[in-house]
Amino acid sequence: MTDVAAQNRLRQSSQSTNALILSMSILFAALVWLLTDHGNWLRYYPENWEWNIASKITQAIKYLVNDAAINGITLSEVTRSFADVLEIPMLALQGILSEGFTFYHANGEITFIPSMPWPAVVFGLTVFAWWAGGRRVAAVSFITLTYFLIFDLWEPAMLTLSSVVIAVLVSFVLGLLLGVWGYRSARANAVLVPVYDVMQTIPTFSYLVPVLLLFGFNPVAAMIATVIYAMPPMARVTTLALQRVPTNISDFGTMGGCNRRQKMWLVMVPAARQNLLIGLNQVIMLTFAMVIIASVIGAGGLGGKVYQGLKSLKIGDAVEAGIAITLLAIALDQISRAIAVRRPNHVHGNAKSFWERHVLVAATLVFTLAACFLTWVFPALQTYPDRLTISTGSFWNDGILWISDTFYPQIKAVRETLIGYVMRPVKTFLLSVPWTGFVAVVSAVSFIIGGTRLALMSLGLLCFIAITGYWEGAMVSLYLVGLSVIVTLILALPIGVWAGLNDTADRIVTPVIDTLQTMPSFVYLIPVVMLVGVGEFAGLIAIVAYSLPPGIRYAKQGIRNIAASSVEVADMSGCTARQKLWHVQLPLALPDFMLGINQTIMFAFSMLVITALVGTRGLEHDTLVAISKVQPGEGIIAGLGIAFLSIITDRLIGQAGRNMQHRVKRNIR
Amino acid sequence: MTPHPSTTDREALIECCSVWKLYGDRAEALAARYGQNISTEILKETGTISAARDVTFDVRKGEIFVIMGLSGSGKSTILRCMTGLIEPTLGSLKVAGTDLKTASYEEMIEIRRHKMGMVFQDFALLPHLTVLDNIAFPLRVQGISKTLRHSKAREMMDLVGLSGRGNHWPHELSGGQQQRVGIARSLMTEPEIWFLDEPFSALDPIIRTEMQNEFLRLQNLLQKSIVFVTHDFDEAVRLADRIAIMEGGCVVQIGTPEELITRPATPYVTEFTKNIPRSKVVRVRTVMGPANKGLLIEPVSADALVGDIAQRVLSYRDPVPVTDEDGQIIGTIDAPKVAAVLMNKEAET
Ligand SMILES: Nc1ncnc2c1ncn2[C@@H]1O[C@H](COP(=O)(O)OP(=O)(O)OP(=O)(O)O)[C@@H](O)[C@H]1O
Ligand SMILES: [Mg+2]
Repeated sequence: MTDVAAQNRLRQSSQSTNALILSMSILFAALVWLLTDHGNWLRYYPENWEWNIASKITQAIKYLVNDAAINGITLSEVTRSFADVLEIPMLALQGILSEGFTFYHANGEITFIPSMPWPAVVFGLTVFAWWAGGRRVAAVSFITLTYFLIFDLWEPAMLTLSSVVIAVLVSFVLGLLLGVWGYRSARANAVLVPVYDVMQTIPTFSYLVPVLLLFGFNPVAAMIATVIYAMPPMARVTTLALQRVPTNISDFGTMGGCNRRQKMWLVMVPAARQNLLIGLNQVIMLTFAMVIIASVIGAGGLGGKVYQGLKSLKIGDAVEAGIAITLLAIALDQISRAIAVRRPNHVHGNAKSFWERHVLVAATLVFTLAACFLTWVFPALQTYPDRLTISTGSFWNDGILWISDTFYPQIKAVRETLIGYVMRPVKTFLLSVPWTGFVAVVSAVSFIIGGTRLALMSLGLLCFIAITGYWEGAMVSLYLVGLSVIVTLILALPIGVWAGLNDTADRIVTPVIDTLQTMPSFVYLIPVVMLVGVGEFAGLIAIVAYSLPPGIRYAKQGIRNIAASSVEVADMSGCTARQKLWHVQLPLALPDFMLGINQTIMFAFSMLVITALVGTRGLEHDTLVAISKVQPGEGIIAGLGIAFLSIITDRLIGQAGRNMQHRVKRNIR
Repeated sequence: MTPHPSTTDREALIECCSVWKLYGDRAEALAARYGQNISTEILKETGTISAARDVTFDVRKGEIFVIMGLSGSGKSTILRCMTGLIEPTLGSLKVAGTDLKTASYEEMIEIRRHKMGMVFQDFALLPHLTVLDNIAFPLRVQGISKTLRHSKAREMMDLVGLSGRGNHWPHELSGGQQQRVGIARSLMTEPEIWFLDEPFSALDPIIRTEMQNEFLRLQNLLQKSIVFVTHDFDEAVRLADRIAIMEGGCVVQIGTPEELITRPATPYVTEFTKNIPRSKVVRVRTVMGPANKGLLIEPVSADALVGDIAQRVLSYRDPVPVTDEDGQIIGTIDAPKVAAVLMNKEAET
């Protein structure tokens, strides 16, 4: 009893200190705001105190890449020849699928070996999808491939497919190796995890510039950027999956007389394969998220089509290519998922001959050969004839025109209201808050939630942003993300709770959010720009649209995860449905909600970066400008600014969620 | 104490000497400071868990040594120490002539490849390999050719009654069949010592009995030295030559099933033995009276279980003579003694 009493006293006293700290920091912020004028350093970080590290980094990188030479060979020459090597598998795949191979001989002759005829590609890929996941998956693949043909997107689609496949393979293998390393050595893991954190939170545009400098403006550079983006989650998943292999299996590896290498590659990795394949699925999705972004540095293919379409406001083209990317993403997602859950059965035993076991491979080969012969008679089989393609570009353009003409007043009203009464005031407010006051309040909140460590982290990271001169940009980014998250949560929580309580609602909501989540983030921009044009309002809507699905999903999970017994207790004590919701279900689902809020914020940050393309003005804008000006330093520092903002929010909300979970548990006991 | 006749004088294959296994941040420091004299209070104060405390026993060649105890009593811990999967905090372990503490990495691999086999509670089959490849796996890591290891694996499948299932995948088999795969796999390298950690606990009672019979049949055939972990006293009594009973990391008693039942060392042991039919455990030697020459009735063996000869003894009014292995009459047994055993009462001596 005394123990509990002492603990309670302790908690109370710490609560009053917390309140004191918080009110002190708020008071400080208010005083600075009221008493200082614009010239005061407490209010605005003085420009001549800025530490101009960004341009120094730019100079250093440019020097390293172009001028620093060992034996007359510069770094960029080394990296570009590395890129040439990486290009080989990609060109080979692309050649097989759509381009064919051209060889230039010394005597000026040119040999051309044509690619697989398109019917053979369609047949082969559909058969592969069928083998992986049965009829449904095969149908999706077939429709996707047909779509490419009909909309005259075959070549860019095959380019995208080739680079995606190679990027996925490279990311998978690299991630696997790094993950194994992290599993084997705790020390390596302690270094790798924070590196992955930064790699995953830093906006992609930031490392596009260094990649651009090192590898040039071409599909291979885009592929390398994609690998940087998609590999860390694979490495994480690998380490986790290996740690989750049952002890008995790993013990068996040892007892069976394996040496270290045998144990890893013959026992641990195969035993973890289900989780590794889930990682592969993630890699595929992330790779698709990069397809369009990477076209900024010359990826070409479908992503390039969307990017060009958006830039020149040919919405129709962008829509068609965007749909193509989404279809391809859905098809590959389904195939890889199907492979992940496949379980062999003994009917396909080893007793049969090679050809009996590989009927499908044989069929594809036969079909390809037949198609090749037929192309001599029917050239249309080699290249899909143009007159059979259609374009809906004008339809979309007209449609947009019609919508914006018809609903112009409504759209305008919503837009003006939101901008005038919500967005602009919030922005002005955040920009006029003294930076010292902001840092003080955030640090105080961090201290209350997570103690000294978290407070120091927030303090350090925020000061970094101020010192490097990106404070204003950071506030603009924060305002956009903050507002978007609030709007998202207002929409997501009720929908999620509804889907959690009601099975019919769930059956409608879940498939919709599943589909929305397979769409690459960039695709969200297209309809938004179509309807409301460019600007911060468009950015806000795009962020909300993109972060809505995870918010809904977690809210639903929160309700569904509540133990049936707790709900039954409520029923038995005679609660009305309303009381049950407010007094039992919502409080118990709170930890899951916090997780959902956290995810929503992380998604919002990753979408924020992309909204730079539709004209938002925060740090994300600086990273995009850095690309066009080829200033890697500026890109990296501004990008780190966004990364730090999202890391601070992540840690704060995560810790708050954990605290809450403890409290819920304590109350239950 | 009547030592068990069949294993008394065989050499020890595993020598477990004052083995401790502590878990906790300060385990190593405590062990270095106090050595074997760590007291319960110190462990409690520092929040250190003692999964094994001062465990000492020998496992002899050719015997079935069963480690029995409730969940969390440290059975797996001590077994994993013997296999070198974990290192004991204190004490020494000698397995098949090798001191595990000083053995090098390569030596351990050698021992595991040729001297030890192990069966796991949840089977630990590799999900990505067929039954045949699972069984052949220990030979695969030794670099033995595919044809050779597959033909050996097929033999082993026949031995454990899995003929014709080589192409199946583990998830296509029932629990009992999966454990047969586990058993076959552990026997592939013809190990001297066979470790089984609760091998039948995940199976339902009927299959469990079937697997126990199967296990005894194999042991009759192969004559391995066996360390068998279980939390089921019935199972221990059925299979064991000797049983070590563990409680809270300590071994509280080691003995033949009969010794444990007739002379339990602590109330904890009594608790286990209470419900075991004594007639299935107690041997004639334990309850027989003094020799009485001149009886003409056909004698019974001193090593026979009372349950097996009860019918015969009860059908005579006179005591029945008891003979040892050499046919010498060393005592008599009469109906009241048998009846007492059958009724699960202490035999009066
Ligand atoms: N890695 C570990 N870290 C901390 N404590 C452990 C660890 N492994 C085992 N223990 C503790 O040691 C004690 C003995 O565990 P052990 O697995 O040997 O029990 P067991 O007798 O095999 O039980 P079961 O029948 O459940 O398998 C338990 O209290 C367990 O919590
Ligand atoms: Mg155990």
